[in-house]
Amino acid sequence: MITAAHPVAAEQLMALLDGELPSDEALAVSAHLEHCAECAELAGQFRGVSRSLAGWVVPEVPPAIEANVIAQAAAPVKAGRAPIFRVSNWKLWAVGGAVAAGLLLLVLPSLFVSHKRPQMLMVQPASQPYTASQPVAQQPPLKLDQLASGGFAAATRAPGVAGDSNGLFHSVHEQSVPDEAVALKAGTIGRAVNGRSDRLTSLDSSTTPTAPMIARTVDLNIMVRDFPAARTALDAIVLRHHGYSAHLSATTTDNAPRILQDSLRIPSTEVASAVSEIKSLGRVVGESQSGEEVTQRHADLAARLQNSRETEQRLRDILAQRTGKIEDVLQVEEEIARVRGEIEGMESDQKTLEHRVDFASVDLYLNEEYKEQFGTPSTPASTRIGNAFVTGLRNAASMLLGMVLFIEEAGPVVLIWLLILGVPALLVWRRYRRMRARI
Amino acid sequence: MEDALPAFVLHSEASHSGTMNDAPANSSVDSDEQLMLAFARGANGAFNTLFERYRQPLFGFFRRRVADPAHAEELAQETFLAVLRGASRYQATALFRTWLYAIAFKILRAHRRKAAFRATFLGAPTEIPEPAAAGSLDVEVMMRQAVRALDAIDREVLLLREFEQLSYAEIGSLLDLPLNTVRSRLFRARMALHALLAPTAANVKEAL
Repeated sequence: MITAAHPVAAEQLMALLDGELPSDEALAVSAHLEHCAECAELAGQFRGVSRSLAGWVVPEVPPAIEANVIAQAAAPVKAGRAPIFRVSNWKLWAVGGAVAAGLLLLVLPSLFVSHKRPQMLMVQPASQPYTASQPVAQQPPLKLDQLASGGFAAATRAPGVAGDSNGLFHSVHEQSVPDEAVALKAGTIGRAVNGRSDRLTSLDSSTTPTAPMIARTVDLNIMVRDFPAARTALDAIVLRHHGYSAHLSATTTDNAPRILQDSLRIPSTEVASAVSEIKSLGRVVGESQSGEEVTQRHADLAARLQNSRETEQRLRDILAQRTGKIEDVLQVEEEIARVRGEIEGMESDQKTLEHRVDFASVDLYLNEEYKEQFGTPSTPASTRIGNAFVTGLRNAASMLLGMVLFIEEAGPVVLIWLLILGVPALLVWRRYRRMRARI
Repeated sequence: MEDALPAFVLHSEASHSGTMNDAPANSSVDSDEQLMLAFARGANGAFNTLFERYRQPLFGFFRRRVADPAHAEELAQETFLAVLRGASRYQATALFRTWLYAIAFKILRAHRRKAAFRATFLGAPTEIPEPAAAGSLDVEVMMRQAVRALDAIDREVLLLREFEQLSYAEIGSLLDLPLNTVRSRLFRARMALHALLAPTAANVKEAL
């Protein structure tokens, strides 16, 4: 401690003895040391400590160390003078590689699955008859225009897969089609199917249909250069083929490509040519087609409808010809009303089914090939800055709220786990620290 | 510290005794740094000279910090082998001895971590052999016990100063401590050690 009577600190005195003081300071402390008995005593203590420690002598180095080290130094190839890879590093590499391989094995199957799925919706080509043992995903897809030029007829001739005919998304080639359908030629697919549906509707009996009724679905993703022109052309195509748009949504934003999503209904007789024309609007980047066979459902519906109508007629005859109590009459009328309700429901289902067969569903995504434009944006910079600031604040508040909610939700569980795991970990840590201090 | 006076007080006594410290007597023309650079260029003889200078100090470094003599030998050898491996990376921006003791410290810390881990989880015996079994002298046992009573960092600062003869700046660099902290810790360690050793010294005098 430095005081007026004692201007040298004890640490300074020690530093002087260690030769760690600057020369000017060392001279001052040395001068003080010569006259200060207290400091001289302190210096004596320091010297005493050093003398005591000097008694701690270690034995000579064992000769084995010298032999080993000198031998290593004299080795022609000094192993590890530039240790780029050591054994421990190789172990790390091995572990890292194993982990990466494991992750790859986990990820790869999901990638394959996601790529196979769209292919299963494609049409089987005519030149490769489908067999049950042949994986569907391995078959190259057939486009709609190929289908229209004879592929469909040949495909329908191929033996079908024994499967559930009521499946939602069946490939066309999966359907088992009687020989009558073989006669279908290009451009007559929809008409033939439609004619069959007309026949089925008019029959209105329990006769089993002999030609398939197929509800067609086409997905198209097209990239166009001139978006307005493509849209106008699309309207014209739809009009020309007597179709209509069931649902349409267009997205137009600044500095971004425009997107049109249109769910079209095109008569089955004209779907092939309509799709072909739509595809000519731009570059096709995605296409898939599927067909759902509804023949059996339609036949079942027709049979049930026929039965219900006969039941209704019989009930009406009973009401007209028989006499009885008021209660009985009311009961018959109630039954007639119930059957009538059923008939109307089934007629509605039948019409919907026939409509799906008559009109193919074409889901179209029209994307613009966007080119960046010069010019001032429609939204002023100040507004955008303000909006961004507000959005940022909102996001920050949302994040904070999310954190609070997370802590509230997960906090108790985390606390329990901390107690379960933390206490043993703390004990182990303390023991480790104690051992570390002892070594 | 360029303008520091030589350690004329404490070290002069040490040089008289000849056993106070293990600092190498560097009377050769070639400095440690020159020898190390020469070895990095392929002169094996340069390493032999360095080994002669530092084998005893380095063995003493580990022998005073590790209770088991066998472990001390292994660690000293491992340090020299690390110097051999790292010779190509050596740059004469720091004193060779600082670089050497930095390597030694890393190896010592790794050894302590492993030993503590084994002792914690495997229940392996800690490195506190019986004095008789270790073949230790009374002075050594007394010193070990006294030094062990010090704070860990104070102990390292004291040993590095007293035996390895490192300057305050070198100690600060090795232990990542500010210069003033080194000085205050060294002071505290010396005072504590004086208090620990004073009763023992008095007993010895009485016995005589």
